[in-house]
Amino acid sequence: MADEVQYTPREFLVVVASRLIQDGESVFVGTGLPLVGALLACHLHAPQMMAIYEGGSIGPEPTVLPWSVADSLTFCKAPIILSMSSTFGHARAGYADVGFLGGAQVDMYGNMNATCIGPYDKPQVRLTGSGGANDMASLCQRIIFMGLHLPDRFPEKVDYITSPGFLDGPGAREKAGLIGGGPWRVISHLGLMGFDEETCRMKLLSYHPGVTPEIIQQFTGFELLVDKDVEETRRPTEEELHVLRDVVDPNQLFVF
Amino acid sequence: MAHANDRLFDHQMAREFKLKKTRALVDKRMDLSDAVAQYVEDGDSLIETGFAYARGPMAAYWEIGRQKKQDLVGIYTPGGLNNLWHEFGGIEGAHVAYVGVEMRGLIAPFRRGVEAGTLKVFSDWSHGGLSASLRAAEQGMNYVASKSMLGSDVMKDNPYVKLGEDPWTGEPVCLIPAMYPDVAIFHVHHADKYGNGRIWGLSVNDTAIAIAAKKVVVTCERIVDTDDIRASAANVIIPWYCVDAVCEVPYGAWPGDMPGMYYFDRPLQEQVVRVDWKTPEATKAWVETNVYGTKNHYEMIQLVADEEGMNVLDYVKRLEQFACSAAYFGIGTWGTGGERDWKYEEVAKRAI
Repeated sequence: MADEVQYTPREFLVVVASRLIQDGESVFVGTGLPLVGALLACHLHAPQMMAIYEGGSIGPEPTVLPWSVADSLTFCKAPIILSMSSTFGHARAGYADVGFLGGAQVDMYGNMNATCIGPYDKPQVRLTGSGGANDMASLCQRIIFMGLHLPDRFPEKVDYITSPGFLDGPGAREKAGLIGGGPWRVISHLGLMGFDEETCRMKLLSYHPGVTPEIIQQFTGFELLVDKDVEETRRPTEEELHVLRDVVDPNQLFVF
Repeated sequence: MAHANDRLFDHQMAREFKLKKTRALVDKRMDLSDAVAQYVEDGDSLIETGFAYARGPMAAYWEIGRQKKQDLVGIYTPGGLNNLWHEFGGIEGAHVAYVGVEMRGLIAPFRRGVEAGTLKVFSDWSHGGLSASLRAAEQGMNYVASKSMLGSDVMKDNPYVKLGEDPWTGEPVCLIPAMYPDVAIFHVHHADKYGNGRIWGLSVNDTAIAIAAKKVVVTCERIVDTDDIRASAANVIIPWYCVDAVCEVPYGAWPGDMPGMYYFDRPLQEQVVRVDWKTPEATKAWVETNVYGTKNHYEMIQLVADEEGMNVLDYVKRLEQFACSAAYFGIGTWGTGGERDWKYEEVAKRAI
């Protein structure tokens, strides 16, 4: 169709992510795609979203996309600037509704890996390490994870639990002493996932245009549950894409 | 001599060190090369400050490379470009909460060092966990009981933290000991000659680090009069009694971000992360030319400017103005002790 809106998979990912943020929520913003998604939400439907950046900025006015979660763009027009330990303290205290983060792997219980592929002592790939991801996953009330959807990126069990999901199943977070509610949504370039309340296992909520639940299963390293109301994900609107491209990222830092 | 890791959590040793530091208001200004030569010793644990690539003391880190310091222990919450020195014998291993450049990706020397086993990872942490460790030192606690890292492999593999039980509620907590790095170098906007350091923007962990660390070097965009600092203590994040040396190093955070003044040197960062440091050979060649081949920070910037065929300093300043114009104009007239105009080019030119 000639009038169909064109977008890249990453743009889709970010647009879907932005829709999960509600106005008035506080969001602990991780780096990478989450940063883009959170800013997009601010500029679209959640102008009163309260951003918390681990470097110390809380509640800045939304601006253009920063390079880093601690560069000047994150605290321009912030009403208060605290320290790193304070921002995580805010999450522990109950001021962080949503933790928004990315990583290399996520497994069927929502455990996330940003440390290494292969064994920890002799990794095939050494990644960045936790940064604030572990703290967000431990302390924030709800966790949104964003990542690319491939079998080895969605394994049955992550190579390393950098950030705790439901660990090994129901009751494990409580037993470990974790206080936040754990994983809530997982967004990939193929679909939007949630977690089954009873089993704590990942389940498909919606599939993006062009794929089916069966195809998504093929790209998943474990048996993905499918919600009974599973549906196709709504396509990005022209407005969403316009704001992403021209307002959030006019410098084209996020070009794919 | 004992390994840096053996003194990293030694409360008493850290205390005794600080009992001996002078409280006197003495002029601590010196050349950056002298400060690095004197205060960064082989085998020291060196903690990165600011947010590594935002308000990081990059000039000092290049100088550490230039002086071929050996066997440092990096502490990264987070860590940025500085860890490339392990390929030159400069860094033996690290305590890691994060090493990378966020959306720009992984730092190749770090990755291949850990994968090859030539860069030891002594411990992994979360940012919250490591910042709590430093905050414990700042607040005079032996340890803190945290709700971070519980249940994760980060906690399981970290040899320094312990699983504990809250004596009141009985719930599991992660016990995190206070950490005392050997040396920290900060980059700030303003400092007086005694070492009081003032910033605009995020302190990140810097006040905690200044109090926790044994030796402290402050580099600054500009030395200001101490009366100017005393007129407004707001934004002062580093107190003089922690500080051993003060160095005026305009553009000292280049190629990183210096809030309100200049932004990341984006072309250079992209170039090193994506191309120049991709292999050990390429990294070596880059360091030979840009670091060993230059006398100081300004020769290095000049070299990059010549290669790129543009005024790098003007470019990063314009980027920051574009990004953050309100803030830029705020700082331009802020607290410079009557001398309202920064005359920035002159400062830089003089230093060059």
